[in-house]
Amino acid sequence: MMSLSLEAILYTGAIGLVVIGALGLVLSHHLFRMLLSLAVAEAGGNLLVVLAGYRGGAIAPILGYGAPGTPMVDPIPQALVLTAIVIGVGVQALAVAVLVRVYRAYGTLDLRDLVEHMQGDIAKAAGIPRSTSTHAPGGERPLPPVPALVRHQPRGGRS
Amino acid sequence: MSVTWAMNPTLPIVLPLLGAFLLQPIARVSAALARAVGPAILIACLWVLTETWLAQGGRPFAVAIGGFAAPLGIVLYVDRIALLFAAAVPTFALLFWPWAGTGQEATRESALLLLLVSSVTGLALSGDLFNIYVFYELAAVASFGLVAIHATGRAYVATIRYLLQSAFGSLLALVGIAILYTKTGTLNLAHLAQLAPSTLHDPLGLASFALMLIGFGVKGELFPVNTWVPEVYATAPARIAALLAGLVSKLAVLVVVRLLVLVFNQPEAAQLMLVLGAVGMVSGELSAWRAKDFPRMLAFSSIGQLGMVFIAFSLPGTTGVLAGLAVAFHHLVVKSGYFALAARWGGSLESLSGLGRRSKLAGAIYVLFALSLIGVPPLPGFWTKLIVLVALAQHGSLELVAMAAILVVTAIEANYLFRLAVVLYRKDKAAPAGPEARAPGLGVGLVAPLLALVLLAATIAIVPVTEGLRKVAAQTVDVASYVRTVFPPVSLPLAQKD
Repeated sequence: MMSLSLEAILYTGAIGLVVIGALGLVLSHHLFRMLLSLAVAEAGGNLLVVLAGYRGGAIAPILGYGAPGTPMVDPIPQALVLTAIVIGVGVQALAVAVLVRVYRAYGTLDLRDLVEHMQGDIAKAAGIPRSTSTHAPGGERPLPPVPALVRHQPRGGRS
Repeated sequence: MSVTWAMNPTLPIVLPLLGAFLLQPIARVSAALARAVGPAILIACLWVLTETWLAQGGRPFAVAIGGFAAPLGIVLYVDRIALLFAAAVPTFALLFWPWAGTGQEATRESALLLLLVSSVTGLALSGDLFNIYVFYELAAVASFGLVAIHATGRAYVATIRYLLQSAFGSLLALVGIAILYTKTGTLNLAHLAQLAPSTLHDPLGLASFALMLIGFGVKGELFPVNTWVPEVYATAPARIAALLAGLVSKLAVLVVVRLLVLVFNQPEAAQLMLVLGAVGMVSGELSAWRAKDFPRMLAFSSIGQLGMVFIAFSLPGTTGVLAGLAVAFHHLVVKSGYFALAARWGGSLESLSGLGRRSKLAGAIYVLFALSLIGVPPLPGFWTKLIVLVALAQHGSLELVAMAAILVVTAIEANYLFRLAVVLYRKDKAAPAGPEARAPGLGVGLVAPLLALVLLAATIAIVPVTEGLRKVAAQTVDVASYVRTVFPPVSLPLAQKD
């Protein structure tokens, strides 16, 4: 009974983390907060994968660890979750790198402003009048000023 | 089964992956060599896949990676549909290869393209769900890099929005995979196909499918997770947009189709896909009607077309898969051709005024693709729509609604495509204004005419093409043969879990 309730708590926690992350992604406007929400949600997802192989009272799946015949937890989800964690970290690192570039280009990380800037730039590049924004009231509205910023190298990668 | 080295299906995955990582060091040594490496690898992949197709004569076979047998090890499953999609990958990568590029940026783009080719081929060939997830993530990372390759501010904003949406989609897919593993204890598709009837036909199984449908649907431009599409296609280079819209989306759809056919073969799952596809189709085409520039019109219309692909694949049996394949490949050719045109037609729709008069070939190709997309009789587009509509008409009321939606949407499609055709052939006395004004004769590369020729060839050879696709479809829906190929009868590995 004890192990069952522990499992229930863990499942609730994992799903709760995913839900918190999803809500954060939907409700926040700051890109860095959205990224953190994604990290929280990913932690929940990874926990769910580990739970898929969980057995109450079982030992770690290491050969020669514990007496023979002792039930072990399923090692496959643990191998899978390692991969998933590594992928998640990689994607988040990439996201932070892109965030830095976004901030250098527009001087803000607020998604509403950024979308305005982006739509404006797309329209300007295409040579069409700006379409009305979903966030702005009808009519003309001045864009928030872009802070004067240090010009970075447009393609400053490695090398 | 004897598998010679020349037809080893791991090669089309491993070679581009190797090339992607070796390209930067090679470029340090010799720039000319680095330029040659990418196309050489792609041609080698194409050769291996063709060789495999010819040698096997359409019989499916499975390869256990590293010699570890099926349910524990990872298998590659090679059948007609997998080979067809896998062969499309290097072909279209070659078409949209950065031939003209030089220097650091071209090397970087080539490396990312090779990475994309490798992972997307993996999606087509893999027979293990977690393996598919990893390839899917790899494809996602490669596409983020490709979208941001021109390093403009707007491309970065589009990339970060795409990244957040895609990463959240992958997370949902991972949760779906976790549910699947909890209920069955395996992620091998053949093994799942064996266990599915007894373990997955319940609400939790359906939830798992829904999560994976949404998760893999991000790349497939499925309805609720496709808001990244217009801004990414408007900011990325047209070649990249062509690959993402034409190729990568189809491979994501293939993953969903494999899941639907092998594992979640139940009406509720198909209906869910049908409804999402229909909503995506209608919303996409309506947005395309409102679009004011060519790339975004194409982006929205591609959402609409992929909605129809999802609708077609949601139908059961051979007809459903045949309809899906027909729409998918038609869209692959036409939309890639359109994006090839868009490489020169960047500006607003108005700035394209009179372009068809100045560049006869480009205008003709545009009209040809438009006619096929709408479905004017002799062209392949007509037959694909006919197959879908006939298949839909044979089923229930929900399918009839989808059928009506397709017909309505066709009218909208015709409206916005012909509206642009009228603009293209407008008699304009004034010189074209705007930054996109081009000298006459420009406005078309080599790729668009090539794809137009493919379309015309398919028009003439419509019967053999349809018969070929029907064979592919029949093999795809044969679940028993899939299981038998992965687990040969002599050594059925695990008893059915009851």
